[in-house]
Amino acid sequence: MSNLIRSEWYKLKKDRSLWALTLLLILVSVLYPLLILFGGGVEVVKVSDIYQLTALGGNDLVLRIAPCILAGFFISSEYSIGTMKSMAASGNSRIRIYFSKLIVYTIGAILIALIFPVVMTGAGAIYFDFNDMPGLGYFVQTIGLTILYTAAFASIMAVFATIFTDTGKATGVMIIFFLIFDSILYTLSDFIPLFEHVANNYVGKLFLDIVNIDAYNGGEMVQLVLVPVLTFAVFGIIGSMLFQKKEIK
Amino acid sequence: MSKYILHTNSLTKNFKQQVALNKVNLSIKKGSIYGFIGQNGAGKSTLIRIVSGLANPSTGSIELFGHSNERELIKARKRIGTIIEGPALYPHMTATENLEAHRLLKGIPGNESVEKMLVLVGLQDTGKKKAKNFSLGMKQRLGLGIALLGDPEFLILDEPINGLDPMGVVEIRELLKKLNQELGITILISSHILSELHLLATDYGIIHKGELLEQLTVEELHEKCQQYLHIKVDNPEKATTILETTLSTNNFEVMPDGVIKLFNDVDNPGKVSSILVNEGLIIEQFMPMGQDLESYFTSRIGGAHHE
Repeated sequence: MSNLIRSEWYKLKKDRSLWALTLLLILVSVLYPLLILFGGGVEVVKVSDIYQLTALGGNDLVLRIAPCILAGFFISSEYSIGTMKSMAASGNSRIRIYFSKLIVYTIGAILIALIFPVVMTGAGAIYFDFNDMPGLGYFVQTIGLTILYTAAFASIMAVFATIFTDTGKATGVMIIFFLIFDSILYTLSDFIPLFEHVANNYVGKLFLDIVNIDAYNGGEMVQLVLVPVLTFAVFGIIGSMLFQKKEIK
Repeated sequence: MSKYILHTNSLTKNFKQQVALNKVNLSIKKGSIYGFIGQNGAGKSTLIRIVSGLANPSTGSIELFGHSNERELIKARKRIGTIIEGPALYPHMTATENLEAHRLLKGIPGNESVEKMLVLVGLQDTGKKKAKNFSLGMKQRLGLGIALLGDPEFLILDEPINGLDPMGVVEIRELLKKLNQELGITILISSHILSELHLLATDYGIIHKGELLEQLTVEELHEKCQQYLHIKVDNPEKATTILETTLSTNNFEVMPDGVIKLFNDVDNPGKVSSILVNEGLIIEQFMPMGQDLESYFTSRIGGAHHE
């Protein structure tokens, strides 16, 4: 499987959508705290506020959109340009092909998801003289959870990218899905109790809670960690099963 | 060790109501260049896709390098190179980068194989030019280079000369001949450019509407496509005696309907007809006949149409 991962890693490094998204997000991360500095009229800015409210809070939207674009270009395009045919005919099992793709794609998604929390916080720290930095424990925990939740999102997105096999279609459907799914889920949960349970344990909802990690007890922490891990595993298995059955055209 | 690289056993593929392959028993000998002939939609690509692992058969099985169970088939596919429905390239990568991505995929150590392949397919001077800016011929050659990475024993090429200019066709043909003759690579090549296949293939398979109508060697094809004089007379027995005595030949066949196929003196029909007439025979039909691969194929699938 190492050969597959090396090949995927090589392709990820050459993926222009990854670099475009990375540059764009770095640009926003560097410029946005400057806007606060020069245009906000705020006298004392805490770096911990930038981290919690802007970097982690704004990352929700990044996480719902940017990995969809990456999935479209990194996964679906393999079908549309026909390179998935040479991968499937290369003498590697479909499960290995799927998981190597998923692992490397997840790494790419994580790199994107960490730009706001790391670069924006770093830029904010420089601009605001390291005023009231977030605690190291809090920072490490939230970064760790961001990584877990990105992996969970990536696993779901990889399933979509495998089903749709067309870059534009896959990206469009995924962005729409991840932007409106929460609303649909909450609406359904008003009528059907089962959906309320799903809505409360859905990664899209729990991800919003990681900013409040300090307030959680042991049981809630376990839930916060376990849900993305299980989501990654379950959707990874679903995706690999779909890929195994899939006729590659 | 089987002499066959590939053997399919009653291979059948159904798409909903449509039968794409119907109990196909195809065999490809080691060292051969197998020309796979069929119209668009005849089932060529479906069979190739099943052999390559891109699709599953509805029923039947395949045997690749003597292996037929699923796990062994996956391993056996490491020994094949493929171009299926056009070269699969990363458009934003250069030729070197495309080959490198596939070298890593196939787990081939060292990148000297990439350099070697660039030279073999004549793309060593393409530098930083992206694959999307390549001509069709260059794309086909790069696709072939990718297929050849890892020194495959069996090449599966689905329409590899589609859209190539005449020079490109010649280049690919010469390269394939060289690979077959010098390296002993077995090649399955599907194409509807029959004149080109005729210059390359050592064996043929004709598929029509999902059914493998016939498999034959190039010698058998030449025999079937041999030029002859089609002669129908009122007394075939007397005619054969005349041919044996006067023309001193027994290089003819008498068909069940009394038609004589004379394979000698095809270039001199006047001489033959005058001898028969002089001996008092009445000639009912007399014409030179023969087929090339194209007309043979047309007659085979034409026959299938009427069945």
